[in-house]
Amino acid sequence: MRGPGALGLPRGAPADYGRGVAQFRLQGSKVLAVDMAGDAVKAKNGAMVAYDGRMTFKKKTGGGEGLRGLVTRRLTGEQMAVMEVTGKGTCYFADRASEINLVELRGEKLYVEASNLLCTDAALRTGTTFTGLRGAAQGNGLFTTTVEGRGQAAITSDGPAVVLRVTREYPLQVDPGAYVAHTGDLKQHFQSGVNLGTFLGEGSGEAFQIRFEGEGLVYVQPSERNTLGGDL
Amino acid sequence: MTGPVVHDVHTLPSDDNVHEYAFSVALDGQWFLQKGKMIAYYGRIDFHGIGYGPLDLLISRSFHSPLHAADWVVAEGRGKMLLADRAFDVNSYDLDEGNLTIRSGNLLAFQPSLSLKQSIIPGFLTLIGTGKFVAASNGPVVFVEPPIRVDPQALVGWADCPSPCHHYDHRYLRGFLGEVRARTGLGGASGEEHQFEFVGAGTVLLQSTEQLMPELATGATVTEEGVPGGGVPAPQSGSQPPQLPGGIGGLQRRFGL
Repeated sequence: MRGPGALGLPRGAPADYGRGVAQFRLQGSKVLAVDMAGDAVKAKNGAMVAYDGRMTFKKKTGGGEGLRGLVTRRLTGEQMAVMEVTGKGTCYFADRASEINLVELRGEKLYVEASNLLCTDAALRTGTTFTGLRGAAQGNGLFTTTVEGRGQAAITSDGPAVVLRVTREYPLQVDPGAYVAHTGDLKQHFQSGVNLGTFLGEGSGEAFQIRFEGEGLVYVQPSERNTLGGDL
Repeated sequence: MTGPVVHDVHTLPSDDNVHEYAFSVALDGQWFLQKGKMIAYYGRIDFHGIGYGPLDLLISRSFHSPLHAADWVVAEGRGKMLLADRAFDVNSYDLDEGNLTIRSGNLLAFQPSLSLKQSIIPGFLTLIGTGKFVAASNGPVVFVEPPIRVDPQALVGWADCPSPCHHYDHRYLRGFLGEVRARTGLGGASGEEHQFEFVGAGTVLLQSTEQLMPELATGATVTEEGVPGGGVPAPQSGSQPPQLPGGIGGLQRRFGL
């Protein structure tokens, strides 16, 4: 990030001026409006629909995570085309009229599919992580994207997401096709109800679930992607 | 900024909508639900396919549509279960010693106190008895009273009406222009020459769109004399794998083909 002077901000501005002050708000439920004062956000490439004020858009290679991130994303197939938007004014983002959910991060980690990540505060770090069988069951590959730090992020879902709390007493089971994202300290297990009946043609259609245990929040969309195990 | 509404096992509604597109069932016992409509659940819930097994008695009481057996499961246990369907509007309805016929793709779940039967109209299911069921529609449901003629694509279902029938715009068909258009396909059609007609006492449920929900072709009827639509495969929307003829189409899907 460039210093404040380069953006024409007052000389006396503190060094961290413009960091994390981008204000995310929803304009309706399908458009994200970000008010910026010289700071930056990272957004899905091509997701800008309108802006007022002065904005610059810069394509970031490899999710803006440096060379290591670039290589990791290439290797894992968790590709993410990201642009950095810097400027003063309001920038509007949307993605195929899908519903947008705001997530406020206070140091915790957000796990989300790269395709569902619309926009993040530039102060948030993104990375890639291994998800194991869950990803495979979703048809999304074995890796997922993490967002970490303090600030706001916007994720998209097919239909408004339901946010479900997981506590130690009450674990949650989620259909892999409806899972969107989760935050907090959660362990996920891949749970399978496949038995002999499945192969005899008496499958329950709900043979695979992800079981979340621990403390955290899970975002579930009211719709199911086509998944590998969906019909079993 | 106020954060999103966070639900947990206690704040989730019991047998009510979470929002327009998701429905929460407080399960204590059994519910029938269509495969793949469960999106998440708390508690201990098992899903059994419909077939031979410990639930024989239940199924013999409430499930009378063998053609749909491949698409339905029984959820059994205790907990809260969220249902949703392709981000369509979801609503629950109560039947009290009544009957209701609904497009098979629109029905998500029902209590076992209701009994599910195949309608003699292909592609529709009839629920008889007392209890709650959950159905999806593309856009909010509109309730209207007969006599009424409705667009076939906008029809979701009907309750207590004994006489759904086809209605063709006869004057249009008879007219010179209509004739030419019907025979050659030239000149275009208004698309409203054919409706379903309902008379008598009852309620008709309409969705506020003419876009049909892509559904699995579960409505194929057995080839038999006297069965309307017998042997004629139900029109398929969306890209579906080719189905085997006859009533074993569901078998393919059971094996995930």
